[in-house]
Amino acid sequence: MLARYVWADLTRNPRRTLSTLVGVMLGVGLSCAVLFLVDGLSASMTQRAVAPLPIDMQRVLTDPVGGDLRLDQEINPAGPVQTGTVVRVRLGLHNAGAVAANEVVVRSEPPAGLAFVAGSATLDGDPVDAGDANPFATGPARVGMNIGTVEAGTTRTFEYEATATVAADPSTVLFRSTVSSREAVTPVDANAADPVDLTQLAIDIAALDGVAFAEQLSFADLPPNSLSSDGTTDPGAVRVFGFDPGYIDHDDTIQIVQGSHVAGAALLSAEAASKLGVSIDDTVSFELPDGTQIDVSISGIVDLSRARSLFASRQGADFETFLYVPNAVVVDSATFADAVVPAYERAATERGERVKSPPVREIDIGVERDLLDADPGTALRQTEQIGANVSKVAGQQDFLLDNISNTLTVARADAGVAKRLFVFLGVPAALLAAMLAAYAGNVLAGAQRREQATLRIRGASRRTLLLMLALRVSCITAAGSVIGVTLGYVSAVTVLGHGTLMRASTQSLVVSAAIGIVAGLLATGTALYVTGRRSIDRDINEDRARLTHRTPVWRRYRLDMIAVLLVAVATAVALSKSAFDGIPGSVYVGRSVELPLALLFLPIAAWVAGSLLAGRLFAWLLRLHRRKSIANFDRTLPFLYRMSIRRRSWAVAEAAVVVGLIVGLGTSLAVFTASYDAAKAADARYVLGSDIRISPSPASERVYRSSDRSEFQVDGVGEITPVVYGIQNVIIRSDRTSDPANLAAVDPRAYQQVAPLRDDQFVTTTATQAMSVLVEQPNAVLLNADFANFLQVEVGDTLLVLLARGTDEQVETELELVGLYERLPGFPDGADALMNIARHEATLPSTAPDFFLAQTTDGSASTLDKVVSELRDDKAADQPLHIESRATALATDQSSLAALNIRGLLDLDSAYALAMGTVTIAIFVFGLLLQRRREYVTLRAQGLQPGSIRSLISAEAGTVAIAGCLAGLGVGLIMAVYLIKVLRPLFVLAPPYQIPLGATSAIVASVLVATAITSVAASSLVNRLRATELLRDE
Amino acid sequence: MTDERGIRVEGLVVEHPTPSGPLRALDCHEFFVVGGSSVAIVGPSGCGKSTLLGVLAGLATPTAGTVTIGSTEITSMSELTRVAFRKHAIGVVYQADNLLPFLTVFENVRLQLALSGDKQDPERRTRDLLDQLGLGPFGERLPDELSGGQRQRVAVARAIVHRPALILADEPTGALDDTNAQVVVELLTDAHRELGATLVMVTHDSAVAAGMQRVVTLDQGSIVDDCEVDHAG
Repeated sequence: MLARYVWADLTRNPRRTLSTLVGVMLGVGLSCAVLFLVDGLSASMTQRAVAPLPIDMQRVLTDPVGGDLRLDQEINPAGPVQTGTVVRVRLGLHNAGAVAANEVVVRSEPPAGLAFVAGSATLDGDPVDAGDANPFATGPARVGMNIGTVEAGTTRTFEYEATATVAADPSTVLFRSTVSSREAVTPVDANAADPVDLTQLAIDIAALDGVAFAEQLSFADLPPNSLSSDGTTDPGAVRVFGFDPGYIDHDDTIQIVQGSHVAGAALLSAEAASKLGVSIDDTVSFELPDGTQIDVSISGIVDLSRARSLFASRQGADFETFLYVPNAVVVDSATFADAVVPAYERAATERGERVKSPPVREIDIGVERDLLDADPGTALRQTEQIGANVSKVAGQQDFLLDNISNTLTVARADAGVAKRLFVFLGVPAALLAAMLAAYAGNVLAGAQRREQATLRIRGASRRTLLLMLALRVSCITAAGSVIGVTLGYVSAVTVLGHGTLMRASTQSLVVSAAIGIVAGLLATGTALYVTGRRSIDRDINEDRARLTHRTPVWRRYRLDMIAVLLVAVATAVALSKSAFDGIPGSVYVGRSVELPLALLFLPIAAWVAGSLLAGRLFAWLLRLHRRKSIANFDRTLPFLYRMSIRRRSWAVAEAAVVVGLIVGLGTSLAVFTASYDAAKAADARYVLGSDIRISPSPASERVYRSSDRSEFQVDGVGEITPVVYGIQNVIIRSDRTSDPANLAAVDPRAYQQVAPLRDDQFVTTTATQAMSVLVEQPNAVLLNADFANFLQVEVGDTLLVLLARGTDEQVETELELVGLYERLPGFPDGADALMNIARHEATLPSTAPDFFLAQTTDGSASTLDKVVSELRDDKAADQPLHIESRATALATDQSSLAALNIRGLLDLDSAYALAMGTVTIAIFVFGLLLQRRREYVTLRAQGLQPGSIRSLISAEAGTVAIAGCLAGLGVGLIMAVYLIKVLRPLFVLAPPYQIPLGATSAIVASVLVATAITSVAASSLVNRLRATELLRDE
Repeated sequence: MTDERGIRVEGLVVEHPTPSGPLRALDCHEFFVVGGSSVAIVGPSGCGKSTLLGVLAGLATPTAGTVTIGSTEITSMSELTRVAFRKHAIGVVYQADNLLPFLTVFENVRLQLALSGDKQDPERRTRDLLDQLGLGPFGERLPDELSGGQRQRVAVARAIVHRPALILADEPTGALDDTNAQVVVELLTDAHRELGATLVMVTHDSAVAAGMQRVVTLDQGSIVDDCEVDHAG
């Protein structure tokens, strides 16, 4: 019976039902949309995180040279022994290699429960004199026995005895014995499996599930003057690579500019080919450490200048640093294994000292990327499993660098941050939906007052009315949920695209829908129920008085003032503790972005507190002279308007607060979106150094000089600076010490124009002053503050700088330190020193810029696209040039957070905020109509014209809208400050505070237009009301 | 009594659209009220009393027929003209006081004078009327600060302050106790006498009806009885 009544009430009052449904629908819709976005973007985050990785995993041989010693261990008896039993240990050491092993150390000691028998040790049957000690594990460090050189093909035998001090089983309590040598310093366990040939290892790994490819890569660094051709010797250092043609298929940064990679022949780097004057089919020779020389025929010229997989350092100190060697020769894997490796082994043996830079030999592994179409956490579990399987293949001779799992570990943490961030950015809108539902419920509860009174007269108890309310709310929220989930899905598809959303698993989408529904229902359903319940508990007179006298709960308990105070205190504490600084993420150091999540509530608190405070202020302004009648009855309409809003100030102020909250959220999101876009563009520009970077390719036949910058001066390009830069391209010497350094040489006047220099990046001067000194003082140099500290120099000191380090043109020059800086734009690997390129050229006439930085005339995206196209089509057509723009820098941002479509989320939030703003205004105006229709009809009966009634409604609604917009704009601008501060770690540079006039105007305009339309519609309804029936009803 | 205060109703039909077809709420062939007289309209609930009053006040438009007040036929007027006519010529009192809750007692009454454009010392006349009705001390109070009887007296004051030719009252005592009901009826009849206005009052109360000069009985939308009340006896 009750259910039928409720159902009839809902279906026969469609407008009322629809009004309450809207809040629920938008609340659930937004909650679901945000969660669907997170699901869809998680898979994108995985793809984005792993995209820049050239190699997913590397199995690096621990001892690529001299790893041919084998140690066999026999224990007798092998089974369980009783206390006092003597166990005999026999170790056989065999050198299976082609060369002798030097400084061979054998280490062995009994496990706990077994004690070495003094004097029992023998070597090749002869007793070893070590007193009572175990000669195979002596001293506190348990150092093994050095037996000197073990010639190739020979075997040495070691024996000793141990007594069981307790009952033990040597088959489970192991004697651990190892062997190492000068050539193979990593101890190898006795009875270890024979090392697998690198070729076989690659085949075995490639056969594993989830592995896309496994390719051999070997390289060795040769000293200067090792490379020659036809009597010409290149003075620079040389790197010899060994990889097969298939390797190039997996790394598009290796570009063969001429010829091809053929087994038995070699590729030569473009720089070496240029310097040696080598062409296809010519022969080059390189000298190996043992003095032998290899002659190879050149089958292709290759540009390796961007091959991070080949030149990223494998050394701990410079791990991942791009240490480029221009002179490079690439042979196939077999040639490297058969010719280069033995040469190193011979060198190591013959020289009697360890080879300083042994070859690096590894298997580079690529994972099936399609398998990783999931969130980073799931993808990480997959890659860790693949990594474990890869490690199981003939282990113990190498170690695994699991780059992809390391990256995904960071991405997983980023995904966690992203979820919290998204939920946080969704919270205000969900709160708004709840407020909207409460507001709608409050307004519409008045419309049900008569029905409830009638039901009470007929005997319905309060409990019955509450039950009916619960049923009504359940029906509305259930319908709102279904529509909301659909709306959320459509919204997410609109923002992300169907393909991206479909990457999320069905399970995660279902879970998100469930969470979204629960969250939306809890927020909006509770709001509806609470307001309805209050209405039931409030009698008519109280309801009437409430409109004129009763102040809202938040005003009575001064919750607004308390909230403002709390926000102020929290802000002061956060500022004093630098809590807003956060920690930016770094893939290289395996650190995800750390957002001070506790502070994420500050923007929300500021938003709510600010809006309520604005409401209080507005009500106070309205209530000035509340009792005083400005009795100008000749202007009836203004009189009615003034009296109405003054004496119902809290009702008007509460509506303005709701509008203010919506406009505030919309404004803050618009400001944050604009600031976010500007900050991301600024970040990309900072990383690149300017809008465009033009790098001559090593394959270019032409050598570009500084003066050639004018050639890139196409339409749309402003200033251009040539830049000389390289990793450890100089050695800088102070009175105290010296160190290799990354030096950059620029045209300081142009660099100041093109690069986003900031004063706070300079320690002792401003950016302008620093560049001016470089212009005016030819021998000036600026140093990175940390580097200057290392060199123990101060401003004014003299430095000796060895330019063109490692080339036959290297020359030392004297420079004066004129200033310090923290960091410079354009050098992601860091620039330790900055000097004037004019001085560089004066010292080194052959100076050729490594790249040019160019600035567009207006910074717009369209100009940038136009300039890049023109440079690629015209300039790069003649000579190979690498042209990067800030847009491409943004696209290759390695942070998985870059995959987050924050812009999409903000657009989504903004769209919902706009929808809610419009709906709120509509509900306010129609609520006004519901609450005051009797007043309007009375005025009509008294002789007020319909046009005047329309004006009255429009004026009141307009007042609310304008007050709400003003409050919202103010609060939104403040909220945006907090949003930017809290989300600061997402950016490299401090985001600029940008107010997008267009977007904020659109928000205000939409609210005002909605006000105008609904006011006209509402007044039209008023004039169609049945006055007779309304006026006679009590 | 003048013709300008008389009421002439001819061929009046009011139908309300319903899902099952139009429902005839009023079917009044002919009905005249002499200007300055008082008429009670009685009848069972739903017989069309309030509908008739709404049409007389120009708040509802009949389906057919004409209503003429004095020499003005209001049924053929546009809404704007009818509103303009109403604010001068008609005062209405309902069972609900329908006072504007955001205006004081004084402002509620004074507003009617402002709307009717009567500029002959409106403040004094408003205060005098309030004093006359015993509402002088409550002039600065808001309606919800008054009792139900006081509010209804303010409603009467608002209906008569602009000296209308026609006073229409729809169950003005329906929500009041006997004492207050009597006060309100007396106020209306006194005003009718003092102003010379025509008073048409819908009521269920036979005693109130008996106080009028004429009693018209409606049933199912039609006049079934129309008799003069003999006050002489």
